[in-house]
Amino acid sequence: MTAPSSALVARGLTKRYGDTTAIESLDLDVDRGVVYGFLGPNGAGKTTTMHILTGLIEPTEGEAWVADTPSSNRRELVDRIGHLPEEPPLYDELTGREQLQFAADLRDRPWDEVSERALGYCDALDLTGDLDRRIDGYSTGMCQKTAFVQATQHDPDVVFLDEPTSGLDPRAAKTLRELIVDLAADDTTVFLSTHILPVVEEIADEVGVLHDARLVAEGSPEELVGDATSDGRLGSNAGGGAETGEEADLEDAFLALTSEPEAAWQS
Amino acid sequence: MSGATETTATETTATETTVFDRLRADTRDAGALCRTELRARARNIRGEPRQLLANAFMLLLFGVGLPLLALGPALSYGERLASGPVPAGQSGAVVATVAVVGVYLGGAGGFNQNRIGSVGPLVRTSIPPRAVALGRLVSETAQASVLVVPPWVVLLCVVAVGAVNPLPAVLLTLATLPMLVTSLLVGRVLGDAVRFVSRTIGFSLWAKALAFFVVTTVFYVGSQALIESRIGDSEGLGSFSIPPLLPGEPLQAYAAAVLDPLGAAGRPLGLLTALVVLVSAPVALAVALRAEVGLLTFESSGSSDERDVASGTRNVPRPFTATPSARVAWRYLLRTRRDPRMLAHLSPMLFGAMAMAASFVTEPRSLLLLGPGALVVGGTTLAGAAFCLNPLGDDSDQLPLLLTSTSSVGVLLRGRAVAGLVPGLVLAVGVATPLAVYQHGVLAAVGQTLLAVALAVSSAGTALGIGALVPKFERREYMNVERSHPSTVAVMAFFFGGLVVGAAGILLLFGTLGGASLPVVAVGWAVYLLVVAAPPVVGYVYAVRKFDALTLDDV
Repeated sequence: MTAPSSALVARGLTKRYGDTTAIESLDLDVDRGVVYGFLGPNGAGKTTTMHILTGLIEPTEGEAWVADTPSSNRRELVDRIGHLPEEPPLYDELTGREQLQFAADLRDRPWDEVSERALGYCDALDLTGDLDRRIDGYSTGMCQKTAFVQATQHDPDVVFLDEPTSGLDPRAAKTLRELIVDLAADDTTVFLSTHILPVVEEIADEVGVLHDARLVAEGSPEELVGDATSDGRLGSNAGGGAETGEEADLEDAFLALTSEPEAAWQS
Repeated sequence: MSGATETTATETTATETTVFDRLRADTRDAGALCRTELRARARNIRGEPRQLLANAFMLLLFGVGLPLLALGPALSYGERLASGPVPAGQSGAVVATVAVVGVYLGGAGGFNQNRIGSVGPLVRTSIPPRAVALGRLVSETAQASVLVVPPWVVLLCVVAVGAVNPLPAVLLTLATLPMLVTSLLVGRVLGDAVRFVSRTIGFSLWAKALAFFVVTTVFYVGSQALIESRIGDSEGLGSFSIPPLLPGEPLQAYAAAVLDPLGAAGRPLGLLTALVVLVSAPVALAVALRAEVGLLTFESSGSSDERDVASGTRNVPRPFTATPSARVAWRYLLRTRRDPRMLAHLSPMLFGAMAMAASFVTEPRSLLLLGPGALVVGGTTLAGAAFCLNPLGDDSDQLPLLLTSTSSVGVLLRGRAVAGLVPGLVLAVGVATPLAVYQHGVLAAVGQTLLAVALAVSSAGTALGIGALVPKFERREYMNVERSHPSTVAVMAFFFGGLVVGAAGILLLFGTLGGASLPVVAVGWAVYLLVVAAPPVVGYVYAVRKFDALTLDDV
């Protein structure tokens, strides 16, 4: 199979652990320069999917391409991706600046080449003043910011962000959302996994909803809400905005989609 | 008045009931925690073939190997117990051995509290600290006993066979069991005390490490010197007894008191010692529990290193700027400079160094004669052991970064090797070469330096291969440091292998310089260089291939 031209493509991705299926026949097509919100309840398979797409684990079946590179080819893939996992992978003994320099060295990218971009992000995230402090003295939010800069400083084609706003205060979370939008505007594809639905609703161009190891819905946030409303699903969902007469939102659509796993549908 | 008395009596009863109930509840919680920890440990061992194999090997080593070593003396001791007057010296030595083993195991348990980090939140949110302390104490003691009880039972059986009578073994059990329990608990208190001092003392981590090294070396060298001066002329271990050493007298008396039915002359000192042993157990238990409750809920102010996190960024200096691997190496060295606990797995090397120091104290002339060679062996072993015995396992928390940032982990592995070569060559060349020039002359020093460089590189590559063969990704506590330490088997195998190969190289070098026959020397060097060159090449290639294919599913 030739490599497709989308930023991110998956065909029949399946991952099983013994009798447990983490993801089942997952197909994805994500265009370049978009923010793709990847949603799903706990244990739905979001992190597993992200690990496969970043080459951190291998699928049991199926294939995936990231920036025209097979995800199984980690050697080629690393130049094209950035990854912020749920637990920031940082060294406590280094300072923030040393950590960023170390990450640049790992990619064999001179610090001079990436520092402008990295320090620009640090400025935006109000991290510059703490860059020369050791990471073991950082708060959760500062670790998260450092890991975000680390994942994006080399200007990757595709960035995978797993709960990027976790531990951030409202101001930092807002800045991060703006940075994510800026990344997409610069033609970087952002694959964003989060439980904070308003974030996805605000910045995602497309959304995929994973439930019970399957992709049960895909489309723009507006499309998902619209389809859920027109299907009459929102009406049956307690607590939804539709019930109270308010306008339905992505949260209502998400709850509706993930409460009926059998009725998989695509917009 | 009467009413007031009645009220007070009722309150007292209520308080007693509350204390009793609390104690019972703590014991129940402790039991639950203990069972859970033991079950988790058993499942962990059963579920991982490597763990199963390692534990089976240890059981075999302790349950069969150790009794085999002591078979002769145990049989002979049994015969002497049955045939004549009870040998006071040997009986005292038996009790002392049990006490030393107990204190060591208890001390290690108190100092190295496994997974204490994961228990901390539990103690603050669910079961009472006393229950946690009791549950963990019992669980860890039970786990430690698995290695002690089998050889001890076997040896008691051997004594019974030697005596052709079970009574000596029964009496020895009566003598040693309370001693084992008490010494375990006393050791636990000592371990807790060291742990407490380590957590509260305001020294830097390096100062603590240095203090630990100095104190243990002085203790070890002092005890060796004492033993040397007292039993230097004895006939060997078979006839070893402890009368000349300070605690010998009460321990002999204690053994004699318990072995009284066999005709030993029991004395008041023996009964007094027995009383002290019996009373010490509950006291030590209470103290240990109190200390561990304190440690569980203790908020450390941290060492000066831990508090001072505003250390500033250190740029990579020359010559480390040369290559990405060298820059990575600098970061490992920098991290170690800031937190020497990264090298906790090297502590067996310290014990080796202590043994050498003891030799130099008892035989000062050997310092210059053997010192340069010992430094070469130690330094080159250090080159591999410092950073290469658990590559990537050591970085398990950062794997998502490392595996998605490097086109090949080769850069990391070479970085680790270079980082290890720095301290290794400082010892093996920087210190050893001037000493060799002074003691053996320039030619020997040049040969020794070349050998040191070759051995150091070989050591790093070989260690990478061993580390790739048995990577350890799970965190565990060792020497009061919780991290992903290298496999204990890998560390020990590497140390002994490094000792043998290094010593062989030194002998070959001095054999060559001493004018050994040319064909012998040529064959010797050909074989030796093959032994030195092949493992690192194979090891490095294997490590790169294995870790380039590593996925998070393997972790």
